Amino acid sequence: MSERIKEHPILGVQEKGRLVRFTYDGKEVEGYEGEPIAAALKAAGVMVHRYTQKEHSPRGIFCAIGRCTDCVMVVDGVPNVRTCITPLAEGMKVCTQYGVSEKPFEEQ
Amino acid sequence: MNSVNDRSRDIGPFVPGPDDDMIICRCEEITKGEIRQAVHDGMWTLTEIRRYLRTGMGLCQGQTCGRLVKGIVARELGISPAELEPAASRVPMRPIEMEIFANEAPEEKEVGYYED
Amino acid sequence: MKRYDLIIVGAGPSGLSAGIEAAKKGLRTVVFDENEKPGGQLFKQIHKFFGSKEHRAKVRGYVIGQQLLEEADRAGVEVVLNATVIGLYQDKEVVVKRGDRIEHYKGNAVIIATGAAENMVTFPGWTLPGVIGAGAAQTMMNLHGVLPGKRVLMLGSGNVGLVVSFQLEQCGCEVVALVDAAPRVGGYGVHAAKVARTGVPFYLSHTIVEAEGTDCVTGVTIAEVDSTFHFIPGTEKHFDVDTICLAVGLSPMSQLLKMAGCRMVDDAKKGGQVPVCDPYGRTSLPGVYVAGDVAGIEEASSAMIEGRMAGIAAAEYLGYIGKDEMESELASLDKALDGLRQGMFAPQNRGKQITETEEGIEVSQNLLLHGYVADDELERYPGVTHKSGVHPVIECTQNIPCNPCQDACKKGCISIGAKITSLPIVVEGSECINCGMCVASCSGQAIFLVDEDCGDGTATVTLPYEFLPLPEVGTKGKGLGRDGKAVCDAEVVSVKSMKAFDKTNLLTIRIPKEYAMKARFFKAV
Repeated sequence: MSERIKEHPILGVQEKGRLVRFTYDGKEVEGYEGEPIAAALKAAGVMVHRYTQKEHSPRGIFCAIGRCTDCVMVVDGVPNVRTCITPLAEGMKVCTQYGVSEKPFEEQ
Repeated sequence: MNSVNDRSRDIGPFVPGPDDDMIICRCEEITKGEIRQAVHDGMWTLTEIRRYLRTGMGLCQGQTCGRLVKGIVARELGISPAELEPAASRVPMRPIEMEIFANEAPEEKEVGYYED
Repeated sequence: MKRYDLIIVGAGPSGLSAGIEAAKKGLRTVVFDENEKPGGQLFKQIHKFFGSKEHRAKVRGYVIGQQLLEEADRAGVEVVLNATVIGLYQDKEVVVKRGDRIEHYKGNAVIIATGAAENMVTFPGWTLPGVIGAGAAQTMMNLHGVLPGKRVLMLGSGNVGLVVSFQLEQCGCEVVALVDAAPRVGGYGVHAAKVARTGVPFYLSHTIVEAEGTDCVTGVTIAEVDSTFHFIPGTEKHFDVDTICLAVGLSPMSQLLKMAGCRMVDDAKKGGQVPVCDPYGRTSLPGVYVAGDVAGIEEASSAMIEGRMAGIAAAEYLGYIGKDEMESELASLDKALDGLRQGMFAPQNRGKQITETEEGIEVSQNLLLHGYVADDELERYPGVTHKSGVHPVIECTQNIPCNPCQDACKKGCISIGAKITSLPIVVEGSECINCGMCVASCSGQAIFLVDEDCGDGTATVTLPYEFLPLPEVGTKGKGLGRDGKAVCDAEVVSVKSMKAFDKTNLLTIRIPKEYAMKARFFKAV
């Protein structure tokens, strides 16, 4: 998890929840319980959260505060979940969203 | 009558621009060219544009593109963005599942002014 | 329907301040906020705030956030989180989504303190992952402890762009360029200078031509623009980056007010569509108030005062205090707010080009064009003086409402005077004891302690340092000029970290004496 800030010159070492496992497109990933799903994915180097319905273009984190809805993914089977404000829980199944589905376009 | 509603005004023909394929409304994937064309199709208010193209009608409810669309429409009409009436604001202000929107919490028993 | 005296929407600096004031006056007050945590943007603000004591100057934003929360708690304000207000009706009915259901509340008075949303600009590739708002960068690094990227280009030289650029560097990102289509730096010169001296190049009159990448950003091209904001061919510059940060202004989030039927106005100086209101936040609807950025974009410091004003006005509206009490309290807040709305960056000066300070000194053009005061411009400012022994050199060159430096010096070396925006001066005949409090207290990190001639051909410069790793005594490296370029060899001779410095470490470097007035940052090699 090289993208985590280990110690910050002003904020020090930030307190985090317990380290938990979840899956991202079937792969096992670790993150801290309670942090936004998007933060855990970012720390794991994931940039693309979804591909759009019309143009199939990639989108990721944009506003990070739940406004823009670009970071939505399919979480535990539910599409359009704003990952930047949804807390991570152990065992969550997080999938790239294609349009509004977790199935890639060619399988839809 | 302000200039926006004076539809007899000639705004000239639609002239294609080099950046017409730029996505403006990120949610509904509406391009600048589509918005400009819509103005020439007679959509002179943001409410009309919204209904015609679905700009700002997606998940984010226009949080990102509202200001951008306003600028494009104003420029096409040759007016200042401040002259354009913003699109109507309505409940719900945030994306919300219909099943939640319809799930009214049961009214607590009629409470007195300072009771819980 | 549950009824409150006062319903506040938004638990940011203005909403919490309003709640505190109202609850203290006995109003049964609730604050709804859609976020998981209260405080609005305060907890992402890790820099020291400007202003004077009454504005909580030199306190870091997130600490102010903690203080407000504690005050709200003590005052008995009910703060309800994860509560999204989705509607406001004219009769002050508030519709709230909580969990998986919809609740309705009625307020005898309502204060809307919903803040602002970021503006965006378009360019080819702007929808690619890796193009983010500056607020997103702050959220990721300062709230969640995750790096927004490794190599970042910042678009926007307002205070947000400058402050976030510095924060990105503080957590270890490399800011490869700070770009703005405007011909001059928009934010405080001191914020620009602290970014520039770390080596970030400024590109004014430039903007983004294109973001490159297929699945995410891998590079960006910028180019110079002419006075009509058209690209000048042949001026393109390319950077390999993984992140492009957009800091191009804020718009008030005033939709709830429009929905409720408040009279609205589109005011470019306030950032867009805002409710028509009086100085205390009273809108066209009796009992509906506004405070903070939703009423016009300003700083968190002014938002807190506006919040208190609205809280007091609501208390009077509901009869909890009399008119006299309200007026006397508002008068003192008026004064505090007026203090913040002075100087070159005051709301009334927005868009104006200022060429002279209040003292009649020519403004540094290099600061506006490149982010730092040029060597040959520096001597004209009253904080820059020379004498033997250690003395403060105050590189504060614009009139901004801020005065912690004058209180910091127990020896009375620094004076601002009665007018909070005046440039600080070094008091003649005063004795500097090299305590460093002024260096650590300057929210703009613009004060240095300099011994121009130590007698052995060297000079020492003590500078504020908020980065990790903190160099140890004996570390050798380079002294960087105000432009961030290495100017001389340097060795760290002292490192001070005290509680009173509040995480601003003081680094003293020894350098050849001819660089005493040039070297302003240290980089280990």
